[in-house]
Amino acid sequence: MISIDKLSKAYGAHVALHKLTLEIEAGEIFGFLGHNGAGKTTAIHMLTTLMKPSSGTARIAGHDIRADPISVRRAIGYVPENVRLYDTMTARENLTFFARLSGVGEVQECIEETLELLKCPELTDRLVGSFSKGQRQRIGLAQAILHRPDILFLDEPSSGLDPLGMKTLRELIVQLNEELGMTIFMNTHLIGEVVKVATSIGILSQGQLVFHDTIDAVRHNYGSDANLEDLYLSVTPVSQAVRVA
Amino acid sequence: MFRSTGLIARHSMALVFRERTVSFLTVLFMALVLVSAYLGWSATTTVNAIYQSAAAFLTSTHQPIPPNPVLNTSPLSLLRNMSTYVSLIGSLASIVIGFQLVAMDRKGGVVPLIGVRPMAGNAYALGKVFALVALVLGLVGAAACVSVMTFQILPEFRLDGTGWRHLTLFFGTSALYMGLFGLMGLASGAYAKSETVSLLIPVTLWLTVTFIFPQLTSNIHPTAALNPVKALVDPPHSSFFTYAELVLGPVSLADAYKVLSARLLEFLPPGHVIRSVVSPATTLVMATVFSIGLAIVSLRKMDMTKGDYDA
Repeated sequence: MISIDKLSKAYGAHVALHKLTLEIEAGEIFGFLGHNGAGKTTAIHMLTTLMKPSSGTARIAGHDIRADPISVRRAIGYVPENVRLYDTMTARENLTFFARLSGVGEVQECIEETLELLKCPELTDRLVGSFSKGQRQRIGLAQAILHRPDILFLDEPSSGLDPLGMKTLRELIVQLNEELGMTIFMNTHLIGEVVKVATSIGILSQGQLVFHDTIDAVRHNYGSDANLEDLYLSVTPVSQAVRVA
Repeated sequence: MFRSTGLIARHSMALVFRERTVSFLTVLFMALVLVSAYLGWSATTTVNAIYQSAAAFLTSTHQPIPPNPVLNTSPLSLLRNMSTYVSLIGSLASIVIGFQLVAMDRKGGVVPLIGVRPMAGNAYALGKVFALVALVLGLVGAAACVSVMTFQILPEFRLDGTGWRHLTLFFGTSALYMGLFGLMGLASGAYAKSETVSLLIPVTLWLTVTFIFPQLTSNIHPTAALNPVKALVDPPHSSFFTYAELVLGPVSLADAYKVLSARLLEFLPPGHVIRSVVSPATTLVMATVFSIGLAIVSLRKMDMTKGDYDA
């Protein structure tokens, strides 16, 4: 579903992402871990076609991000960190705009179904400017799944949420994965969060992928969450001990 | 691509109507259009009333009656203040509209959300340009309606075929002039990293074009540039002004607009000399084409990964 081949991004002498190579199967929830500045957001920007790679490429749902960005965009949904929408418009007005841009047919039906799915139909006709962080996050998620994409990219989705908001978000992610069959690519630096929902994880450090394995294998090899945290800290920054599985 | 372009344009227009600054400047511009019509009518009827009483006195004393000065001026010159309001408030309103068309996406943080939609690279840029064109045409169209109604209401100011043609061309020229400043606002709104700078760039250009260039090319004191008649006085015959107009004439947009509007509203002083190598109409058309290109390039190069301006 996502096939990344030596994807790199450099800003002058600074290499933000170095030859990232990764395969993510359909139906997975992939947790992409790394410290702030590790290159996770740069990777997601290139995979969502918002930024051109310096070298390398990736195929998303069978489409090359360099050669066919429009087909890639049809297949994906994207929720950036700190979702912000048009504050002077209602959730319905915001979602109508994004649904039409995504080429959704029955726009109003789709909006109502999506907000039902995300358990927030009461937000439909309220101004986005009056929303809490958690409510904003739901509408942000809604705009990303209106066209029922195959793959959903989430950049630090739990950023700024309280524990209840984080728990609800985790449930929604699992629901989207199980009910709509979406493959989910999730950037985060919270290992405790990612292990609760992910089916596989990758760890990025200083622009390089230093670890990639299924969550089952990780649990089998490392056991408790405390050990997972040790693993994360041992591979960031780059450690010679653990390499890409 | 056309569907996405249309969507972006319609959505942008709907959003911009909710911006208070835009609404304020639009209302101000329309109020000034009404004031312009009233001032023109008031000045002309006052002169006419004075002439009528003077003529009555001269008749009673069996003295010859000179021709009515009102009949020597075109009814179109009734709108001469409009050229000042367009180059001041109209241009500023356009800059704010152009800036807001991009700023509301950037400040709203929705640029990345738009960037991941399946649309061609030019759709966003063209949508914004079309929205600006539609908004400026709407503003100028409303001003034109007020002017047409003024001529319909006042029977003493009748326009013939040429008059109507000139009036249409005047509003077309005004739309072009306002539009090119709006495009600068659009380009700057997309290009600049900071919100303040993105507004300062087009406003500085507007100040330069409106007040500084006319001083260099026509020896007009900045405050005199506000007066549509004084602004058309020929500059002194010195080599400095000759060369300044030759060099700056092609980019002296306010001068070009003033001369064109004075010609179309029929209040250009007889014998007014244009020393620039490029005609005023060509200057405005070239500037508009350049501004369209600049706006599209700036919008296409805008960083779609980022939302807001830098703090």
